[in-house]
Amino acid sequence: MPRRGDPARRLSFTLLCLAFVMSLFAGRLVQIQGFDAQVYAKEAAQKRLQTNIIPATRGEITDAAGIPMAMSVERRTVFVDPALITAAQRGEVIARLSETLGVPANEVAAKVDAKPSRYQVVKRDVAPGTARQLMAYKLIGVNTELGYERVYPGGALASNLIGFAGADGKGLEGLEYAKDKVLAGRPGEQRMEYSRQGQQIPMSAAQRKEPVPGRDLRLTLNRDIQWKAQEALNRQVAKSRASSGSIVVMDPRTGHIVAMADAPTYDPNRPEISTAEQRRNGAVTRSFEPGSTNKVITTAAALEAGAVRPDTSFTVPYSLHRYGSLFHDSHGHPTRRMTVGGILATSSNTGTLQIAEKLGKDKLSAALHRFGFGTRPGTELPGETAGLLKNPKEWWGTQLYTISFGQGVSVNALQMASVYATIANKGVRVQPSIVAGTADAEGHFSPAPAPKRTKAISPRTAEQVSRMLEGATSVDGTAPKAKIDGYRVAGKTGTAQRINPACGCYRGGGYTASFVGYAPADDPELVVLVALHDPKRGSYYGGDVAAPVFSDVMSFGLKTLKVPPTGKKSPKIKLYP
Amino acid sequence: MTSTSATGDGPVPRRPGLLRARLAEVLHLFDRPLTSYYVIFGSMMLLIALGLIMVLSSSSIDSLTETGSPYTLFRKQVISVVIGLPLMLVASRLPPRVYRVIAYPLMVVAVLGLVAVLFMGDSYATGAVRWINIGGLTIQPSEPAKLAFVIWGADLLARKEELNMLTEWRHLLVPLMPGVGVLTLLVLLGRDLGTSLVLMTAFLALLWVVGAPGRLFVGMLGLVALLVAIMVVVEPYRMDRLTSFIDPAADPGGTGYQAMHGRYALGSGGLLGVGIGASREKWQYLPHPESDFIFAIIGEELGLVGSLLVIGLFGLFGYAGIRVAQRVRDPFMRLAATALTAWIVVQALVNIGAVIGVLPITGIPLPLVSSGGSALVPTMFALGTLLSFAKREPGARQALAARGPGLPVRALSWLGLGSRKR
Repeated sequence: MPRRGDPARRLSFTLLCLAFVMSLFAGRLVQIQGFDAQVYAKEAAQKRLQTNIIPATRGEITDAAGIPMAMSVERRTVFVDPALITAAQRGEVIARLSETLGVPANEVAAKVDAKPSRYQVVKRDVAPGTARQLMAYKLIGVNTELGYERVYPGGALASNLIGFAGADGKGLEGLEYAKDKVLAGRPGEQRMEYSRQGQQIPMSAAQRKEPVPGRDLRLTLNRDIQWKAQEALNRQVAKSRASSGSIVVMDPRTGHIVAMADAPTYDPNRPEISTAEQRRNGAVTRSFEPGSTNKVITTAAALEAGAVRPDTSFTVPYSLHRYGSLFHDSHGHPTRRMTVGGILATSSNTGTLQIAEKLGKDKLSAALHRFGFGTRPGTELPGETAGLLKNPKEWWGTQLYTISFGQGVSVNALQMASVYATIANKGVRVQPSIVAGTADAEGHFSPAPAPKRTKAISPRTAEQVSRMLEGATSVDGTAPKAKIDGYRVAGKTGTAQRINPACGCYRGGGYTASFVGYAPADDPELVVLVALHDPKRGSYYGGDVAAPVFSDVMSFGLKTLKVPPTGKKSPKIKLYP
Repeated sequence: MTSTSATGDGPVPRRPGLLRARLAEVLHLFDRPLTSYYVIFGSMMLLIALGLIMVLSSSSIDSLTETGSPYTLFRKQVISVVIGLPLMLVASRLPPRVYRVIAYPLMVVAVLGLVAVLFMGDSYATGAVRWINIGGLTIQPSEPAKLAFVIWGADLLARKEELNMLTEWRHLLVPLMPGVGVLTLLVLLGRDLGTSLVLMTAFLALLWVVGAPGRLFVGMLGLVALLVAIMVVVEPYRMDRLTSFIDPAADPGGTGYQAMHGRYALGSGGLLGVGIGASREKWQYLPHPESDFIFAIIGEELGLVGSLLVIGLFGLFGYAGIRVAQRVRDPFMRLAATALTAWIVVQALVNIGAVIGVLPITGIPLPLVSSGGSALVPTMFALGTLLSFAKREPGARQALAARGPGLPVRALSWLGLGSRKR
C-alpha cells in the first residue's frame, strides 16, 4: 500500500477547490443576471404578457337632424373555458347558460366538453343585461367579451348609400366603407401578465391604452324625405316593372343631397341575403343616356352664347334630314313655327338640333363640362361614375345633334340633378355633397369643407331657361303630371333609349324614363330627379312614368320642409310666335 | 510653481505598516477558537430564515391552487424548523462519543427505512419513489440515511485508524464500500439519483480525508462514471436531462423547459430583483419553484445580490466546516466534519449548478432552503453535530466558559431553579 496523504494538506486543497468552484458559480450568475439578464427577462415577459384589444365604438351615421341611421350597440360574446369547468360544476354551468341565453342544452354541452380548448363561444351579440345576469351566477370558466353590433334602425332606408359594416366592425360598402377611417376610431389595448393557467398576475403592472371612439358622420339627408323617396320609387318600379330606378333630392342652394334612393334595395342588417345588384348605389354608379333632359343645357348654352334669344323662332318639322340621318320628334305633329321656349317645353328634337347648329359643338361641349358632365360628382360616395363625354374633336358627323338632345353622352342621376340645381341656383353650380360634417363623442360638430361653387351660366340665362322649364309642366308641355297644386314647378322630361349591352345598339335596350325639376320655380328650394330604367309595363315616357313620382316626392318634400307657395303665378311664355 | 505647493496639500503618504496591521486585525478575528462555531451557526440560521421566506413566496401560488390556502407548504416548513431547532440544539450538546455509539444502530435504521420505501413507498406523482407514510407523516428515509452513513463511515474509519489498521487497501474499503454500496443501491432502486450522488460524495470525502491514495480516487471516479452510464441506459429520461442541460433552448417546451424557465427567473431578477413575493415564474411557469428550483426564485425576487448572498453563505459554511475538520484532533470528528460539510456543500452546488445551467438537473433540493421537512430536519441535526464538533476545537471550550452562563441558564437561576454550582 502506498503512502497515505496528509489530511491537513488535503483539507487545505479542498478549501481551494471550494473557493474555485464558488467563484465559477458567481461568475456564471453575473453572466445570467447581469450581462444576459435583459435577453432572458424579455423572453420571459413575452411568455406571460398578453395584449387584449379593447374595441373602439364606431361612430354613428346620422341624417342632417342627427337621427341615427347606422349605430353601434354594445354586445357581449359569451364564451366558456372548458379547462376550468370541473365535472362537479358542469351540470350547473350548462343549465344556466342554456336557460339564460336560450341556447339548447346539448349545444352548450358540446362547447363545455370541447377538449382540448380554452375558448369556446357559446353565443355572440348577447345584450349587456343578459350578460350581466349570467355573470351574476359567478360560474367559473364562463366569461364575456365586449363587442359592438352594427345596427341600422331604418332597415333599407338609404342602405344603398350608407352601405354596411362587417361582423368585425370594418366598413365594407357605401359610406361605411368610404368613411371607415372617420367612423372606426382607434381600438385600445390592455397588456397584462398572466399565469400559465390564465389568471392575471395581481401585482403585475397592467398597461392600458384607452380606445379612441370613432367620430359620428352627419349626412345632409332628411330622413323623412329619404323615406318618402324610397317608398315612391319602390312603388313605381314595381308598377312599371322597371329593372331599376333612382331618385335624387337636392337643395340647389347648398348642393346638399336631401335624399338619394335606389331600387332595388336591401336590408343592411342582413347583407348576407342580398345581391350585388340590390346593394348598388345606382344614383351615382349607374350612367345612362339622359335624353331630353339634356336639352336644357343646349338651350342654356345657346342663350348664354347669344346664338339665340328666348323668342327666336324656328321652323320645326316632325322629321329632319342631316348627313343622311333622319331625326324626328317623339310624337307626330305638323310642321310649325316655334320659339326656343316652345321647343324646350314640347321637347322637340328637330327644334333642338337647329339650336345646336347655331351653337356649334365646341360651345356645347364646354357648356356640358361647366354643368358637371364628364367628371365625377365628388361626394365621397364610393363607385361614382363620371359618365361619358367625348372630346368634341372626336364627335362624328351627327353627334352634335344627338348630344344636343341627350344621346351619345351619359351621366349618372346625381350629375343630371346637379344640372337642374345649377339652373335653379341662378347659374351657380354647387358641388353636390352628402357629408355635412363629423361630430366627436361629446357632440362637438365640425362641418365638412364648403363645397366648390362655380358659375355655369349667367343669372339672366338661368332665369330665362327656368321660365321655359315651367312651360314643360304646363298643359301645353310634356309633363303636366308633374304639376303640384299651389306651387310653381319647373322641370323637364326625359325619355332615352338604352343601349342593349348584347349588341351595343339601341335595339331591344328599352328606355330610361326620367323627370327632373325644382320648386318653387321662382325661389327654388328642392330639386328632385326621378329616373326609371327599362320600365316594361305601360308607358315608357318620362312624362307618364317619372313625372307623377316627381310630383309625389316634391310635394312631400315641400311640406316636410314647410316651404310655403310663393303665391305668384307663372308668367305666360310664348311657345309659338 | 514651486512656491504655491509649499502648503503641502499633496496625497497622504501611504503607510503600509498600518494597513497590514488592520488586515492582521481582521484576520485575527477569524483566528479565534469559536470562529467556526459562529460562522456555521450564523450562515445556517440565515439560510434557514431565507428558506422560510422563500418557501412561502415560491409555494404560495401552487399551494393556493392545489389546497385553497397559500400557506400549506409554508406551514409544513415552519413545523419542520420547529422540530429541527431543538434537535439541532440537542445534537450540538451531545459529546462525540455518543455519535460513535449510535453509529451502527443509525445505519441499521436507515437501511430498514430504505427497504420500507421500496415496499410501501409512494412516488407522489413525481419520477422517484422516495416517500413513506407513517401515521399521516410523509417521510423521506433517504435523507436521514445520508446522516447515518456519514456518522457510521466516520466511526468505522476512525476506529480502524485508532487500531492502526489503515495500512492495507482492504481496510480502507471494507466494510465502508459495501455499506455505501447497499445504501446507494437501495436509493437507486427508488430512482433517487440525487441522494445517491450525495452518498457517493460523502464516501469520497471520507476516503479523501483519511488519506486514501490518489490512485484509489481515479478508480472510484471510473466506477462512478460507469454507474452513471448504466443508470442513463436503464432510464432514458436521464439522457434527456443530460442532453438538454447542454442546450436547453433546443427544446424549450419539453426537456429544456425547466432549465429555460430557471434562467428566465434569474434573468428577470437582474441585479436587484423584482422584490420579495413579486416573482412571475412562480405563477405556474417554473415547475417545483419551492424545492429544486427555489434558487431561481431567490435570484428572481432578490436579484444577483440575493443569489450571490446564498452562494456566499454556503461558501462561508464550507469554509467553517473544513476549518473544524482542520482544527479538531480526533480522527472521528475530522472525518465526520468533512463528510457532513461535503454533503451539504456539494448538494448545494449540485442544486445551484442545475439552476444556473452548469450541471444537469438531478432533482436534488437546496439544503436548508428548499421546502421539505424530511430533508431539513436531518440536515439541521447534522449541523448540530457539526456545531458539537466545533465546540471541541482547541480553546473553544475555554472560550465558551468565559462567555458565562447563557440567557436561559440565567433566567432559570433567577427563578431559583438553576444549578447554583457551575
